Amino acid sequence: MLRFTLERLVGMVITMALVSVMVFIIMEIPPGDYADRYAFRKYSGTGVNVTQADIEAIRADLGLDKPMVLRYLDWIGGIVLRGDFGQAFAFETSVVKVIGDKGFLTLGILFATLLVTYMISIPVGIFAAVKRASAMDYGLTIFSYMGLALPNFLLALLMLYFASRWFGADIGGLFSEAYADAPWSLAKVWDLVKHLWLPAFVLAWSAVAYQIQTMRATMSDELNKLSVTAARARGVPEMKLLVKYPARLAINPVVSTIGFDVNRIFSELPIVAVVLGLTELGELLLKAYLDLDMYVAGAILLLLTFIIVFMNFVSDLLLAWLDPRIKLGA
Amino acid sequence: MLKVDNLTISFRTDEGLITPVQDVSFEVKAGRTLGIVGESGSGKSVSTKALMRLLPGNALVSPDARMAYVNKAGETVNVESLKPNSRALRQLRGGEIGMIFQEPMASFSPVYTIGNQMIEAIRLHRKASKKEAREIAIDMLDRVGISNASARVDQYPHELSGGMRQRAMIALALSAGPALLIADEPTTALDVTIQAQVLELMGDLQRDLGMGMIFITHDLGVIAQVADDVVVMYLGKIVERGATAEVIRNPRHPYTQGLLKAIPSLDTLHDRLSPVPGDIPSPTERPSGCPFHTRCGQMRAGQCDVVEPPEVQLGEGRAVRCWLDAEVSQSAKLEIPA
Ligand SMILES: Nc1ncnc2c1ncn2[C@@H]1O[C@H](COP(=O)(O)OP(=O)(O)OP(=O)(O)O)[C@@H](O)[C@H]1O
Ligand SMILES: [Mg+2]
Repeated sequence: MLRFTLERLVGMVITMALVSVMVFIIMEIPPGDYADRYAFRKYSGTGVNVTQADIEAIRADLGLDKPMVLRYLDWIGGIVLRGDFGQAFAFETSVVKVIGDKGFLTLGILFATLLVTYMISIPVGIFAAVKRASAMDYGLTIFSYMGLALPNFLLALLMLYFASRWFGADIGGLFSEAYADAPWSLAKVWDLVKHLWLPAFVLAWSAVAYQIQTMRATMSDELNKLSVTAARARGVPEMKLLVKYPARLAINPVVSTIGFDVNRIFSELPIVAVVLGLTELGELLLKAYLDLDMYVAGAILLLLTFIIVFMNFVSDLLLAWLDPRIKLGA
Repeated sequence: MLKVDNLTISFRTDEGLITPVQDVSFEVKAGRTLGIVGESGSGKSVSTKALMRLLPGNALVSPDARMAYVNKAGETVNVESLKPNSRALRQLRGGEIGMIFQEPMASFSPVYTIGNQMIEAIRLHRKASKKEAREIAIDMLDRVGISNASARVDQYPHELSGGMRQRAMIALALSAGPALLIADEPTTALDVTIQAQVLELMGDLQRDLGMGMIFITHDLGVIAQVADDVVVMYLGKIVERGATAEVIRNPRHPYTQGLLKAIPSLDTLHDRLSPVPGDIPSPTERPSGCPFHTRCGQMRAGQCDVVEPPEVQLGEGRAVRCWLDAEVSQSAKLEIPA
């Protein structure tokens, strides 16, 4: 397992390096750079005539005049060596400050969503497979189709409406008013958890529907295996049997798509965030990109892609742990 | 130690209700081996699965079926009325009756070591610590002829060869200490030399452990080697029964005679194709009258294809279900079972 982990770790680092190059290129694609934008902002309406030389001066000042390769090395070096993601031009402070809490809150929403997704879909999928062709099973199938058909921002609106009717108005956002600007404390974390379930549920909705179907299908296959009958013939209690033998293998396709789920959550998050009034990175990313505030955009892109790559790594390790044949190369 | 009466098993399928086992009765005596022989689809596996209550959800067992098993403590367990998921049923499975399947690879879970699965079974049925259970497992692997057992115990099933795996499967079933072993075609997937070794091993173990055994095969030659008594099944019915020596020496049913002719000699290749001439009817289209009449060389039109023959007793534990013998015993016209 150690050897396998190391192999995958090296693979992950290489992937991340390649991804960082890609992110950097994406940052460079929009025409113009922040020097143009800065000059325009500073002097527009003032009547001052901006010369090319002025812009060049700003460019040199911001370090944007160096060749691309050097700028990349500066950038990635700062991140790896000092945790410094560069300068947020528009905010005139460091990128780390700008992103700060938003990064952690995005991570919080992500993990809450993954947790809700798997805590619901895995046991329910197993249950549906065991009770195959029962009324319960058909009910779940209908629910799944609904889950796949209903866009989640619509669900978010619905939930918001009902939640505020039943639980009071204070349901959107990630914090109650009392804690919104308070420093971090245990009480604030608890307040966050109380607010997280709603966006987590909304974002998990379609994945739950999808993964229930996956789990049900693979579990049904596994239940028919002779090894399951053989274990039953040895007197293994049914609950233990289900978990130890068929479920362990049936879970495989769910685990191997963790990366996809993360990806999907990130792409659905901004619109859900708008509806539910959440603080997260997506909106900032869009704004930074439009402003050509490239280091902010780059840092966010890098963070999101690294999380996806990292979760793929986790999924690989989990798969190998679930099915030892994978690491034995059989 | 085990007495089965009136066992009828049906399945609800998309093509309607099929009944692959009809009114089957047999008995296993303590320490002895009952052979069940018949071609593919005759209902051998399904019958023994019923004994362990392992039939799938679409199976129906007739309400008048009786399966009385006398356990190690000497109590009679009525298997047909055990509750699903009950402790008594779990004890019966593995602890009282062990089962070996045809596919040694598929009957192990690929994601746990041999030892893991053995230790689990041992600890379910015997009082043993993890360490003791491991000792028992290694000892049992050693006993079934697996060399270097203390290393093999930590290997995964795919790391073993086919013959090895079947030996490990036998060790797995025996490690929980059952009093009755059901071996469902345990050697069919193996090549002929390994098959002979495994058969010998099973005979030895049975004698040493004093187990009763049900041995399922489609090869009457194997039955001659291992079984004390035999029942011959055709399309879900027992067509002939008796002491193995008797049945082999003097087979009465044309089907048994056909099976006997089909015993592969040492130098013919062993294949699973039907050796008796003619095709096995599909389970959805059972022939009327005697189920074997479509393939029988001595079929009498107007009788065999219309009315099913009764079971004719020929002596202690010896019986045949054929009109040829029914005529002789002159009880023919009256005994027409539904
Ligand atoms: N789950 C099931 N659903 C429907 N029919 C079944 C099911 N299991 C078995 N059968 C039917 O029962 C019949 C007998 O099957 P069984 O497995 O007992 O045969 P067998 O004598 O063991 O044959 P083989 O030598 O091929 O193992 C088959 O023809 C099949 O049609
Ligand atoms: Mg069979």
